[in-house]
Amino acid sequence: MDQNEPDRDQEAIAALLRETPAAPVSSNFLARVNERIDETAGWLGLTNFRAWTLGLVPAAAALVLLAILWPATTVTSSPATLTGAPQISSAQTFTPASYTDWQQDVTANALLEAALRSPARTDAR
Amino acid sequence: MDPDGALVEAAASGSREAFDELVRRHQSAIVTLVRALTGGRDDAEDLAQEVFVRAWRSLRGFRGDSAFRTWLHRVAINVVRTSHTRRTRLMRIFVPSGGMRDEDAPPPEAVDAEEPVDTALARRQIVERALATLPDDLRLAVTLRDLQGMDYKDIAAALGVPMGTVESRIFRARQRLKPLLAPLLTRSAGEDQR
Repeated sequence: MDQNEPDRDQEAIAALLRETPAAPVSSNFLARVNERIDETAGWLGLTNFRAWTLGLVPAAAALVLLAILWPATTVTSSPATLTGAPQISSAQTFTPASYTDWQQDVTANALLEAALRSPARTDAR
Repeated sequence: MDPDGALVEAAASGSREAFDELVRRHQSAIVTLVRALTGGRDDAEDLAQEVFVRAWRSLRGFRGDSAFRTWLHRVAINVVRTSHTRRTRLMRIFVPSGGMRDEDAPPPEAVDAEEPVDTALARRQIVERALATLPDDLRLAVTLRDLQGMDYKDIAAALGVPMGTVESRIFRARQRLKPLLAPLLTRSAGEDQR
């Protein structure tokens, strides 16, 4: 057996494959590729965060403007909410006793009397 | 230097005209590659189109470490692999065990040496059917080398294996192809002698 036979076989197969005619390409191949790119660009655009962030700039600017202008219109209607003043909870409701606590000129007797008359105050203690 | 360099740069910046030109340059090679890798499946051209769609989407990520052609071949190999995996999964679901699966495709029919195989179509079909009988790794290597004319270094880069492995795969693939392509070889030898 010829020692070079395997090499010749290899070369013959390689030559045969090289000479294999190229597959024909349909005439609308490029058009179909472009169509598919455009189709996928539609829904795939949703996953493109760059497009998202740029597209959201006007909306973000509108929100910032709104945030700046909004307090000016609402501060008069509900100042406590906007200035962060502490809210009075139901547990802190004014009783006659607590009302008198705030009076500068209250006497000790009146204060005691008011405290004794308030059931809520007693319960709290 | 990459002959596609300027076009790739323009296409990566969003030029569809540049990308169209890249498609025109490589469409024949990619369709041939996909047909060879899929054994001439009917949807080969669809898959080839998918290769270019993916290439367009990933072009910004192309760093130019290899030639565009090598990179495009890698994209094609991935598209075919993904399609094959999906197809095999579907076959497993819908074809009962014992039924015909993708990898059990019929072997290439024996070609009568007297049968006229001179037409381009017939020759290509015989080659595609012969390639389809090879294991994936051998088929890929010999297709890239002999049908696509890539050099060993580029094939190694495209497949992510050492060059020695590429050489060995190509050698074994040609050995296996020899009996399957014998009718064509006989004919070629006859033509050479005339």
